[in-house]
Amino acid sequence: MNSIAADRAKPGAGLFRVRQILDNVEAKPVSTALTWPATLNPAASKRYYFWLVAPAVALLAFISIYPFFWMIYMGLHDVEIGSVVWNDFANFTRLPSDSRYVGGWLLLFQYSAMCLALQIGIGVFLAVALNGLRHEKILVTMLLMPMMIAPLVAGMVWYFLYNGTFGWYHWLLQSVGILGPKSILGSPDTAMLAIVIIDVWQWTPLITLITLAGLKRVPQDQLEANMVDGASPFVNFISVTLPNLYPVLLIAIMLRFMDNFRFIDSALVLTGGGPGNATKILPIYLFEVSFKFFKLGRGAAIALTLLVVTIILGMILAKVFDRLHPKRT
Amino acid sequence: MVTVSIEKVWKIYGRIPAVKDLNIECANGSFLSILGPSGCGKSSTMRMIAGLEHISAGEIRFDGRRINDLAPKDRDVAMVFENYALYPHKSVYENMANPLKLRGQAEVRIRERVLAAAKLLEIAELLDRRPQELSGGQKQRVAIGRAIVREPKLFLFDEPIAHLDAKLRAHMRGEIRHLQRTLGTTVIYVTHDQLEAMSMADRIAVMHEGVLQQLATPREVYNKPVNAWVAGFVGEPAMNFLDCTLEETGGQVRFVHPTFRIAVTPEQARLLEASNRAQGIRLGVRPDALTISLAKSKEESMTGRIFVNELLGGDMIVDVDLGPERVRVKTSTDFAGNEGDVCYITANRDKWHAFSKETGRTIF
Repeated sequence: MNSIAADRAKPGAGLFRVRQILDNVEAKPVSTALTWPATLNPAASKRYYFWLVAPAVALLAFISIYPFFWMIYMGLHDVEIGSVVWNDFANFTRLPSDSRYVGGWLLLFQYSAMCLALQIGIGVFLAVALNGLRHEKILVTMLLMPMMIAPLVAGMVWYFLYNGTFGWYHWLLQSVGILGPKSILGSPDTAMLAIVIIDVWQWTPLITLITLAGLKRVPQDQLEANMVDGASPFVNFISVTLPNLYPVLLIAIMLRFMDNFRFIDSALVLTGGGPGNATKILPIYLFEVSFKFFKLGRGAAIALTLLVVTIILGMILAKVFDRLHPKRT
Repeated sequence: MVTVSIEKVWKIYGRIPAVKDLNIECANGSFLSILGPSGCGKSSTMRMIAGLEHISAGEIRFDGRRINDLAPKDRDVAMVFENYALYPHKSVYENMANPLKLRGQAEVRIRERVLAAAKLLEIAELLDRRPQELSGGQKQRVAIGRAIVREPKLFLFDEPIAHLDAKLRAHMRGEIRHLQRTLGTTVIYVTHDQLEAMSMADRIAVMHEGVLQQLATPREVYNKPVNAWVAGFVGEPAMNFLDCTLEETGGQVRFVHPTFRIAVTPEQARLLEASNRAQGIRLGVRPDALTISLAKSKEESMTGRIFVNELLGGDMIVDVDLGPERVRVKTSTDFAGNEGDVCYITANRDKWHAFSKETGRTIF
């Protein structure tokens, strides 16, 4: 029987014996001249994952990448039913001289800017007002209802509210003398505001929701530190809460601006671009060119410019986002 | 510089009292540490002093002036938070300048104060960085810097170094103590780490379950704890407790335990006599007041069996089974006992304590 086995016979002695052996090992300096291992273990194969993802990628390619290239192809040709003719970029070169195209851009920027400004302003205000209320959850749920309605249906509802003969808002505004004899949607001055209000009504809750989530993440100790440092509640909001909200607000802006650039449902139902061209924002003009006049080639060219501008603006916002978002270490 | 008086202060959340009838007086320019485990009410107390929490009952006074209803910004206190609470979107300089800026000081003066504070804390080269580019220790320095630029009447520290690693913590303890001596400002320092409280404070307020247990100098808290709870909370490794009965034979009073019978000094016998000892006695003795030996000494000793040895570099802690109970003994690394060996422990009778078993109150 060797000595370790002998020690094991004593209860609880084994552990200590190991410690003693370790204590007796002479400390040697770690070798600094390391040699590279002769063989490296192979990395895990990714082929398996490739096959798992492949069907989804193929489907996505079919329903989005294929139409994308098809759109570029159409944009470079005169497309009529039964004939596709190369036209030396005429679809693009003619765009700058098309006043309704240029006007469509201006109106689109005007429309998006108004929507965003109102939505962010009202949305943040509502979020701050709701944050920490006793019935916060119920109130938020109620507030979210407009978002759940299909944009087309929302457009219809507002169409009736704005209607010149029986519309409730029309009646109300005319009774108090704000509105002249013209109907809301029939006057170029008010038509744009009318479609902006629908978008604000429907999508402000989203901003509120995102901002509320952001407010929950504002570090309490930073607010308190600022308070002890000498800040009033308003200064505290401006100098601590708001900077902490920038990242979520940017996400909200990105979402809303991209939607504004492509959503035409309610505007189409309400004004169809009119009166005159007063609300003919670019997506509505694009819709008309492609599906009313069936100039599919020109429509594709317009769509492509819209896409490129959306992507560029999105990238700029993402850059700003990167700059503002505090990196966690 | 200010004298802080906390008088009959209560903090009640809903129906749950977190701080109960607290009375603390913190002298001008002194370093007071509020010590206790989590949930003992120490942070609530600090937040009431800062004005971040409503004072449910009682009064807090700075130099005799009631401050209950003042907003935090009007109390002229500076606070250092556990998680540093630096503003991530501001540079180190802007973080430190913030309290002065909020008070509308001139840019030249702000610059001067921030640079002076940065120099004192050795963070002058970090002023252009953002908080996320700093290490934990550097962040803590910036947080302290932000507190000292304003030269407030009172510093409040809320576990400021709890998140640093052990080595840095030991270093910062010395630095904070030195800083307080240099500036001469009154400091209230909340911690759950008894070592921090012992090493830095002029006086320690030990709290437990919302009630102040003892308010005394570190030496006094360590050597003369008012009850068994304080005795057990302060000191590392913790005090050993052994339930004993008393026996009087031939004019000698002895502690009796299944593994030992040891006589007390005549002075201690007198104190035991005076106390109500019907329910038995809890003997408390710190690991460094015990001496362990493998040979039976002439003195009366406890007989036990070694459970495990823990080598701590400079010295060794030996866990010894005394019948059903286990005590820890501090000894030198030369001690040759192995696990399972029978050993004998003698106690330094000037350094042991007796507590009432039912109330926990100190008898000596």
